[in-house]
Amino acid sequence: MTNAYQQTDTILHVENVSVVYGAKTIIENISFTEKNTVRPNAQQGQTIAFLGRSGRGKSTLFRVITGLEKPTSGRILIPDYNKPINETGQPAKPVAEGDVGFVNQRYTLFRHKTVYQALMFALRKSTDSEAEKQNKVLQYLADWGLEKVKNQYPNELSGGQRQRTAILEQLLSSGYYMVLDEPFSGLDVGNIESVKKAFHLITSSHELNTIVFSTHDIELAVELADSIYVMGYASSPNDDLKQVGTIVGHFDLKAMNLSWAGTFDARHAECAKAIKAAMLAS
Amino acid sequence: MLKQVKAFFRPFERVSSRQRLAAVGLWVGILLLWWVLSALGTRHIFPSPAQVWQGLANLFNEGLIVHIFSSLGLATQAIAISLLFSLLVVYLSPLPALKPLALFLSKCRYLPLTGITFYLAILVKDARTMQVSVLTVFMSLYFITSLLAVLKDIPTDEIDHARSLKCSRWEVLWEVVIKGRLDYVIDVLRQNLAIVWMMLVTVESILVAAGGLGVLIKNSDKFMNHGRIVALQLVILLLGLLLDWGLQTLRKGLFRYSTF
Repeated sequence: MTNAYQQTDTILHVENVSVVYGAKTIIENISFTEKNTVRPNAQQGQTIAFLGRSGRGKSTLFRVITGLEKPTSGRILIPDYNKPINETGQPAKPVAEGDVGFVNQRYTLFRHKTVYQALMFALRKSTDSEAEKQNKVLQYLADWGLEKVKNQYPNELSGGQRQRTAILEQLLSSGYYMVLDEPFSGLDVGNIESVKKAFHLITSSHELNTIVFSTHDIELAVELADSIYVMGYASSPNDDLKQVGTIVGHFDLKAMNLSWAGTFDARHAECAKAIKAAMLAS
Repeated sequence: MLKQVKAFFRPFERVSSRQRLAAVGLWVGILLLWWVLSALGTRHIFPSPAQVWQGLANLFNEGLIVHIFSSLGLATQAIAISLLFSLLVVYLSPLPALKPLALFLSKCRYLPLTGITFYLAILVKDARTMQVSVLTVFMSLYFITSLLAVLKDIPTDEIDHARSLKCSRWEVLWEVVIKGRLDYVIDVLRQNLAIVWMMLVTVESILVAAGGLGVLIKNSDKFMNHGRIVALQLVILLLGLLLDWGLQTLRKGLFRYSTF
């Protein structure tokens, strides 16, 4: 059975991005483009995974994608939905701080805000009325199973509740894009399921919702993502590995007919094997 | 029995609450025994409990309570001014233009008290203002140092988290540094209280005109009244501990999330 889908406008365009700290190049020449995926009879956002061994620059790339750090060269463009569509399509804009939500692996929250206060704060720039914001937050709290802990501080939350709050906070603040740096790191099986559910909630609620995440769990990435980039050290002309991170492989799981399967079968395992080989070689 | 005794001398050994109580009781017993023994004979090095009690009674009759309130008033006044000044300096230290000033003031904590007192004496007229000024100057330097350390320890993750929520740099300062670390301010105050308390008595004993516990110590010292000196030391220690406990309780009561 094939998964019918169509790709429309560009939703994320990364062009020749390099980051250099002093004399040390961390990442270089990173370019990729992701398009909006449309499936008949299904609301479908994008889930993009970045895999790679430690020190290959995944976190640095994420800081650049989220606008928290300016690249030394290159640019990152996202659609500017505040502008009307023109003859060439949706106008693009360089990514700025706050355009893309960022959740780190420690699920950092404001230590002095309760769950409810944190979510209301995330909505502070929204043009909705106070009552509308309150209703929206209460609805999300109910949908994400956080209603009972709405008046608790981060130090009073369980790991899973903390994750959901951190993701929800970014979802309310940033709109369509969310970057999660190793969201499954150090989680038990229950919390992994909870984050997977959160991913599904996000991508199924709007077709433009886009999740970018990194993980060391190849099988999990193959199960969840519809596009996987492998980051590694690029080969130098004398066949040595240059200690600079870049993209060394791309697996388009949609084209491979592996996305949205709901199960992990032999073909997924085969793909995971190929990804592992690419990671080990770089 | 030997096994239980050995447990007290094994690093990181967990002991029961009864054993812990026994250890505390043992130390209190040793202290009391030492006190009684050192008070024996005609040329004793420590006043007897009776002499200390007598000293306390004398102090009470000479207005101990008034002096305590005088010292507490001085401490409150100096703490309030120095805390306000220190917070202003530290909260503005993330501005590159003002950071050198904050760091310089922090380094000034190595300045000797006497030299500063000399210059302050030229500037201020009455003893009380002089006491407040000396305390304020010195406490501010210690507060600034501790508050700068709190600021330095804020994880980059927290700053990035605020930035990812579209916070402007001033909002980051307000949310993460100021609101997010209010409980630390109380803890810094508590940590520095011992220095403040020690300095307070010294400052009061240098400038006797305005009264306070320091004046009582100085007077007792002059007449070699050991019973009074020890009684005063105990009063000062207990007051310090009470303030410490009060600030700790205040922090935990006001900030539910403050778990350190």
